[in-house]
Parts: sequence; structure tokens; C-alpha cells
Amino acid sequence: MVESPKKRVLVIDDAHLVRRYYRDALETAGFEVDEALNGLEGLEKLLADPPDLLVVDINMPRMDGITFLRALRRQTLPVAATAALVISTESGLQDVASAQAAGANFYLTKPVKPDVLALHAAMLSGVAT
Amino acid sequence: MTEDEFARLCDFLYRRTGMLFGEAKRYYVQRRLDERMAATGAATFAGYFARLHGGVGGEIEQFINAFTVNETYFYREEHQLQCLTRDLLAERLAGRPRGAAIRIWSVPCSTGEEPYSIAIWLLENWPPVDAHDVEIVGSDIDTEVLEAAKTGVFGRRALMRLTSDLIARYFDMVDDDHWRVLEDLRESVRFSPVNLVSSAQTRPYGRFDVIFCRNVLIYFDDASRRAAAENLYETLAPGGFICLGHSESMSRISPLFDVRRYADAIVYQRPVEDDRG
Repeated sequence: MVESPKKRVLVIDDAHLVRRYYRDALETAGFEVDEALNGLEGLEKLLADPPDLLVVDINMPRMDGITFLRALRRQTLPVAATAALVISTESGLQDVASAQAAGANFYLTKPVKPDVLALHAAMLSGVAT
Repeated sequence: MTEDEFARLCDFLYRRTGMLFGEAKRYYVQRRLDERMAATGAATFAGYFARLHGGVGGEIEQFINAFTVNETYFYREEHQLQCLTRDLLAERLAGRPRGAAIRIWSVPCSTGEEPYSIAIWLLENWPPVDAHDVEIVGSDIDTEVLEAAKTGVFGRRALMRLTSDLIARYFDMVDDDHWRVLEDLRESVRFSPVNLVSSAQTRPYGRFDVIFCRNVLIYFDDASRRAAAENLYETLAPGGFICLGHSESMSRISPLFDVRRYADAIVYQRPVEDDRG
């Protein structure tokens, strides 16, 4: 049996430690990971080399996660359909609602344990389990 | 060394230095004990321990020196890092909103081993690491070591306490004997110069939740030491903590701080409410 290629995740978060933390969790779970510092850089990387999954923070400088999601869903297919997992410290119902309205597929509240992140990443990127 | 002998030795070390060594550090302790027994010509543990206990020939100082080195390395004084993630951060964050910022200062930071250790330690041992805006600042009076810290290349000796798994995950190999700390980590620590005795230099740093200030106050004379203690106090948020080197005691330097004893370390705290505002 031929091993399927690794699923690729783009982590968009402005905190270096957080990106390292998620990268480590995802690589350990078998994903290939790229990083972006904010929504704007995320958009550039997304268009240059579309990943299988986006992990998106909400509060970021230059372009926040909500603006990024809206921009993502305005792209042409298949890029516009890229799965997006939002992970934020914002935990209010209205935060979840506005992220979903902007195009989030799923919403997790920080802190997120490595195994929980890996599980959701697998689910949303279509990794066979 | 029997269980009982190991326990007696660790107890002696703890009472003298505040350094805590448990079963996990048995090899580390044994190696240093062997060195000192060979150096003093002691044939048995009992003979050596009597000499140590009696302070014969300055053996207490020699013995304690064997447990410290002047050059620094990753995960030095791991018990303080344990204390940071088991107790200090939770206390600092109690009652503050989710996502609250945490500011940590490593001063003096030398070539960066300590602030990078803090970053790695948090990633490995503090599950809420992704939920807080963690700022780690490394400062030193020596601008040359700060440049080296920013570059982040370390030799074998600096990494001796890290497992191969940690080295593989947080460093890129430069050559057979050197490793460079990953860019994400380098970017997560900010390095800048400071002279602790100058309030004009410390004030712009604002206020920290936790300060690691190891083995620098011992080099100052009384007046400088008091000035540095004042400045450290001012750069701590009320309720913030300061961790000193194992042989240092803030109580002897300044009455400003409260002593807090945790399972892993003795730490000094700026009182939550004080009349200095």
C-alpha cells in the first residue's frame, strides 16, 4: 500500500511560542506545518501554496482572524473551501458566532492540548483514522 | 551510596544551599560525591560525610562548588522552573482575564541559556502556554554576550541537561558540536542591555510577573546590592516574584520582599499591597 502524502496545515498566530507549540503538536501527529504571523501573511501563503487546513487565531495585528476568514471565503474554489479551525482565547458565544459567520469550520478555545489539536486537525483535514 | 546516605547528603545540600536533589538526580549527585571523595582521599561515605559535616579543610565550600559551575547551561536550576509552572504563574494569573499577558525577565541572561530554557520549559510543561501572551526578556550588562544570545548557537556543554528529544525539537544542528535554537524561539525572546544598579536603565522595562536574577547580587558590594534590590523591586508587578541563585538570600539584602516557600524553591515576592504603590 502506498502511504498517502502528509496533510499540510498553515498555522496563523502572532505569538511565536504558540506557533511553535502548535507546530510541534501537529508535526508529532504526522502533519506538515507552515506558519504565518498574521492574517495578511496567512493570505499570501494560502494563495501561494494552498494547505489542507488552516489554524487561525482571532486577535492578531495587521489582519485579524475574522477579516482573514472573510477574505478566505471570497477566494475562488478550491482555495475558498479550505477548512479553517479557529483557536482563540475569546470564549464568548458571540465570538464563536462571528467566527462561524465569517467562515470558521470549527472553534476551539485556548488553551488547547496537543492531542485535542491533533484530533481536530485530523477530522477537519480528512485524515483517515 | 545507600538510600539513607543519599537522603542524608541531599538533606545536607538542601539545608546549606536550598538546592533540592531527588531520586531523579541520583547520578548527578553520585558523580560529584565521587569526585570529592577522590579529591579528599576519603575511603567511605561515612568518612567523607564526617569531614563534610565538620567543615574540615573548607570542604563544605568545595562540595557546594562541585554542584555549581560558573558557566551557565540549559535547564540550570530546574527546580525553579518547576516552581514557575507549578505555582508562580497560576498565582500571577489568578483573577485575571483569560489570555492575560505574562512578563518574565531573565537578568543577567549571559548568552541566552536561561531565557531560552524558560521558553522551552513553558512549551513542555505549562499546558496553558497558548492561552497567554508570554513575553520573555533577557538582559545583561555585557553587550557581547547579548549578541551571542541573539544568535543562539550553543555547544555540547550548554545542552548537557537537555534530552536528545528536546535538542532535536528545539534546535537545528550547525555542525557536530554546535546547535542553533529554532527561529520561533529566538523570536520569542527579546534581548536588551541593562545595568541593574541604575534605576534610569531598569525603569523603562516596566513591570514583570517573574524575574530570574541568579548569581549576580553576590558580585556587588553592599550599596550596589541594595540599589539593585530596589530596582528589581520596582520592576516587579505587585505580587510578582523574583528567583535568585541557590546560595543567595534577598532577606539579607533588602526587607522589601516577602519570602515564599514552595515545594520546589524558595522565592521572593513583592507584596501584593504595599504603600509604595
